[in-house]
Amino acid sequence: MTAVPLAAVAALALALAVPPLVGFDPYYLYVLGTGWLWATLACAWGLLAFAGQVSFGHAAYFGAGAYASALLSQSAGWHPWLALGAAGLVGAAVAVPMGLGARRLGGAPLALATFAYAEVCRLVALNWTALTGGGAGLVGIPSLPLGRERVGHYYVALGVLVAALVIVAGLRRTPVGLAWAAIRERESRAELLGLTPAPYKLLAFACSGALTALGGALFAHAVRYIEPDLVFGRGLSLLPLVMATFGGAHSLLGPPAGALMLYLLSEVVLQPTLPRLHQLPYAMALVLVVLVLPRGLAGIARRVEGP
Amino acid sequence: MSLTTLGEAVVAGLANGAFYAFLALGFVAIFSLTRALNLAHGELVLLGGYVGYAAGRAWGLPTALLVPLSAAALVPVGLVWRVLIARVREPVELNSMVLTFGLSLLLQNAMLGAWAADYRLIATGPGAVVPGLSTARAAGALVALVTILGLEIVLTRTRWGTVLRATSRDAEAAALLGVNVDRVGLATFAVAAAIAGAGGVLFATVHYLHPGGGVELTLLAITLAIVGQLPAAAGRRRQPLLGLLAAGLAVGLVEALTLAAAGPRWRELVVALSLLAVLFAAPGPAERGAAR
Repeated sequence: MTAVPLAAVAALALALAVPPLVGFDPYYLYVLGTGWLWATLACAWGLLAFAGQVSFGHAAYFGAGAYASALLSQSAGWHPWLALGAAGLVGAAVAVPMGLGARRLGGAPLALATFAYAEVCRLVALNWTALTGGGAGLVGIPSLPLGRERVGHYYVALGVLVAALVIVAGLRRTPVGLAWAAIRERESRAELLGLTPAPYKLLAFACSGALTALGGALFAHAVRYIEPDLVFGRGLSLLPLVMATFGGAHSLLGPPAGALMLYLLSEVVLQPTLPRLHQLPYAMALVLVVLVLPRGLAGIARRVEGP
Repeated sequence: MSLTTLGEAVVAGLANGAFYAFLALGFVAIFSLTRALNLAHGELVLLGGYVGYAAGRAWGLPTALLVPLSAAALVPVGLVWRVLIARVREPVELNSMVLTFGLSLLLQNAMLGAWAADYRLIATGPGAVVPGLSTARAAGALVALVTILGLEIVLTRTRWGTVLRATSRDAEAAALLGVNVDRVGLATFAVAAAIAGAGGVLFATVHYLHPGGGVELTLLAITLAIVGQLPAAAGRRRQPLLGLLAAGLAVGLVEALTLAAAGPRWRELVVALSLLAVLFAAPGPAERGAAR
């Protein structure tokens, strides 16, 4: 991914800044804003996949970010923007155990560990009633001071997505990114060449966790209500994985593109027509990717461009 | 905790543990044959429970008939799983997780559509064999023990068992020796799904069915599969299923003691934590399964 796609992304982002100005229907603004959020989550998940680590438990970081930002702004009285930033750090911290775990485990066992870790986080949030309010959740979380709320959230979500893309694109081009790719392609060979994988894996987990937690914090301030099953639910582990894998997990633009396609298909097309089946595209996309399209949408794009 | 409570907890824990091993059988069978991690296992068990529930409501059949009925109903599902999982590319563990993660979502939505998000239970009469152990739980434990010991004998003492074990050790070598690997695969998946279906009905006589309840069952099956592999990893491959049974009993016991000491809120947490602990304490067998 060189400067050309980045310029294209910038142009696209500018174009996408227009809808609220021309008085888009509030429902569609909401749908698009949520779409940016999912794209951010898929992008964060893809960052970890780029480093060769497959997570089945990103709900842990999303939920941690949501709860951190909600509690800091509500109970501790922090300014929402400050709480949002702190939530990113909390997400990085919550990802550290799995990042350290990646020293010992890899592949499927690590994926299983992340799966169990997200469950542990959900159950801790559910049972630590004194802090989190338990199953009743937290109500009346302060919203971000944005004036017109819906338009504001649209822009914030878009901004976070663009920031995530810029960060990920930047990281991929640094020596760190090269190390990540080397670890992904053949860890033993990378080690043979003098690379120590452990700190790079830890960094990948922390970055991915931080971006995911930012998404969670954004969600908490936009919806203003969270409870464990909502923000630690399995869907939040599942969907970024589905979207990123469908888009092409190792590419830069694949995960967000996959996220937008699947989310919009589910929300705009299926939700009004076949509400009971609106999660079907996610399931079908996974089955399709594993059986037919191992590189996802990015694989198609590459085939069209030629090798 | 009084001595009586402790005794009741031990009995209930062992009974539950044997049943847990039974619930995990289908997962373990698929994993040892194909190295695929079936994340939709919990949903298959729930589906079996729902089929039993629906048949019980529609025709008023007794539970003893619902068990084989539901087992039979899940066989076609098992065959579909076989066809899909057979097409998964390397690394099989990871790709099968992605695939079955999708399938679990599909099943969960199907069940949500068919039976809504309400909690359902297959009603059996009240009554207890001994204090702390209801008839339904005892029946589950009994079916579990008979099935596991029966399968253990089939696996170790019959030609079929030898063929199956050979195929799961090295499918290519088995095929060279004239084993019809495809048929072994179909049969294993059919049996695995049938056991999941039967387990679902028995599960639903004790626990409430809920479309979202599959994760916990899947986590349990994975935990038991990994713990149960430990004896095999230590080189004692003679008893393929007794390790699983021992793992089930251990988890059941830990869970029952947690329940008696700390209350029901921490039960699920203990299962998830023990999976994490097992993964990190004994990465050997799990990593051996993972082709890197």
